[in-house]
Amino acid sequence: MAVELSTGLVALASGVAIGASAIAAAWAEKEIGVAAIGAMAEKEELFGKGLILTVIPETIVIFGLVIA
Amino acid sequence: MLRPYQMSSVIITGPKNIQEDVIKEIHKQKVLHIVEHSKNELADIGMPLESASRLSEILVKARALIASLNIKKEENKFELKRGLLEVESTAKKLGEEVSANLDELKKAEALMAKDESVKQELEILKNIDIPLEYFTSYKSLAYFTGYFKDEGRIATLKEELSKITEKFMLLDSTAKKRSFIALFIDAKLKENAGDVLRKAGFIPANFVNIVSMKGNASSNLKKIDEEIKRLGKKSEEIKKRLESIGQEYKPFLLAAEEFLSEQLEKAEAPLKFAATQSSFLVKGWIPLEQLQSSIERLNKAGKNKIFVHFEPAKKEDKVPVKLKNPKHAKPFEFFLDLYTMPSYKEIDPTSIMFLTFPLLFGFMLGDFGYGLTTLALFIALKKLMPKARNFFNVLIFASLASIFFGLLFGEFFGFEEIAGFHLPHILSRADDINGLMYLAVGVGILHINLGLLLGFFNEMNSHGILKALFAKGSWFILETGIVLLALSALKIIILPIYIGLLMILLAAVMLFKAEGIRGPIEIPSLFSNTLSYARLMAIGLSSVVLALIINDSAKEFFHKGGFFILAGILILVIGHTINIGLGLLGSFLHSLRLHYVEFFTKFFHGGAEKYRPFGMKDA
Repeated sequence: MAVELSTGLVALASGVAIGASAIAAAWAEKEIGVAAIGAMAEKEELFGKGLILTVIPETIVIFGLVIA
Repeated sequence: MLRPYQMSSVIITGPKNIQEDVIKEIHKQKVLHIVEHSKNELADIGMPLESASRLSEILVKARALIASLNIKKEENKFELKRGLLEVESTAKKLGEEVSANLDELKKAEALMAKDESVKQELEILKNIDIPLEYFTSYKSLAYFTGYFKDEGRIATLKEELSKITEKFMLLDSTAKKRSFIALFIDAKLKENAGDVLRKAGFIPANFVNIVSMKGNASSNLKKIDEEIKRLGKKSEEIKKRLESIGQEYKPFLLAAEEFLSEQLEKAEAPLKFAATQSSFLVKGWIPLEQLQSSIERLNKAGKNKIFVHFEPAKKEDKVPVKLKNPKHAKPFEFFLDLYTMPSYKEIDPTSIMFLTFPLLFGFMLGDFGYGLTTLALFIALKKLMPKARNFFNVLIFASLASIFFGLLFGEFFGFEEIAGFHLPHILSRADDINGLMYLAVGVGILHINLGLLLGFFNEMNSHGILKALFAKGSWFILETGIVLLALSALKIIILPIYIGLLMILLAAVMLFKAEGIRGPIEIPSLFSNTLSYARLMAIGLSSVVLALIINDSAKEFFHKGGFFILAGILILVIGHTINIGLGLLGSFLHSLRLHYVEFFTKFFHGGAEKYRPFGMKDA
């Protein structure tokens, strides 16, 4: 199946956009998750806020997806 | 709806001699949210009632019994007939009985542990047939006991030793590839023999537990085994006895614990009061609806010797919040419990979330089949776990929204047609990705503007119309400016470009005026927030695509026929189960996040204390 080079490059670029943003988001979420668990150990009511803070970086992936 | 219950500030004062009656009445009413008094120059905090120390002593005893008898908390209908006296005497008697049993158990277990270590030593010695009393301290004789790693050493060892002296006795036995030896030798030669042994790789082992035992190891071993068996039986018996005590007294202890904590709560209530030498003062909040009847009953209980002052909440008061929502929206208060209570003057967003949360959730998990499955699942789970009722009610509403969106998107477990019948749809998520994204962002714009509108009313209530216009109205001007700018730049309407720009500038200035530099800095967040709603598309799409992949790979198997049909069915079941799980988690969290982060930041401050009336148990 012959595919134009430009099409391939576009696909590749999309892949990089999603992949890189996903890695970045995962990294950020890991850091926040650790901090959130730490905070919860001190004060259990912080579960809700911790959960929300943890998913905030997901936005990065969404932006990556939109751009892709 | 949208507003919490109206609260009235209440101050109750009276002489100390009726304090206890008043506390009892407050506890019975369960409507007064007590504001704790902190010590100042006018009044100290009150002293607990006399009974408090006795109560807490018995409570500690009862809780210790519950812990040591391994009693689990559960619904309990046991009635204490004679109140505190009964509880005290029974708890004391029971405490003695249980601790006697526990002591006996501990003793038996300690003996057993000791016997076990003796047994270990005997096991080693059982193959060497010498009386145990030989292992004692001598004047002229020394002995070594220990191991060699490999068996071949014994012969060479004998040779080496005979070079030093002829008077020695070497006993050995081999088990599990290790040789155990006992060497008796002249005390004067102890050091020389030690050197020889060390060179041969000797690992010494000491026997401390068999001192004072007589006879050979195997006969002792038999005795010890019997002893261990006897002790084990005994400790089993004690455990059984304790268990039956636990079973018998479980209802009593649970009821006693509840009764005592309630009594103690009452006895310690004065710690929250302000007190002088002969009077007390309680400050708190009562919902306006219950105020009248509550005061009447308080006066009756206080024999008209108390004075109750009440007034509506003032602006600067920190009012505890009791949310007021219709029954169907009530489960959604769960989300505010998780986040923070809205402050008293603020709009309570529960009823709005009742509509918007399932909508956003359904948009993401919009599949008729998935919706039906999760609906059935959550109805079943709700029956199984009545404690998490609220949470499951939320999810049931969300599942209904999934079913609804499944109809709109024409999806049934990812299929868009069943048996040749094409499901009607308004928008196909798998094919029209761009359309889906525009729709998602459109939903976002609506949601955010709803938030800004609520923010406008909140600001108007707390700071007046002018502040509301500057802080929140400016966002609407900003949006209009952006739309005009875009339309005129695209030449859709004929209007000079600077009009749009001017409106954006005006909005920025208004924001600066209202909130300082933080205002204009927030402007780009409008775009990031709006784009964030693209997740409605992204999560939905990933769920659809996964479902399609599962269906396609199952189809391959079905075509092959025969045994492969079974594999195909397995793929369908497992695949869709995983996809539903992922979809639920993703859709729930992201719908929640869109509310907390994008929606709430437009109007919600929160931070109020939850209304917790005295005497009410936490649900």
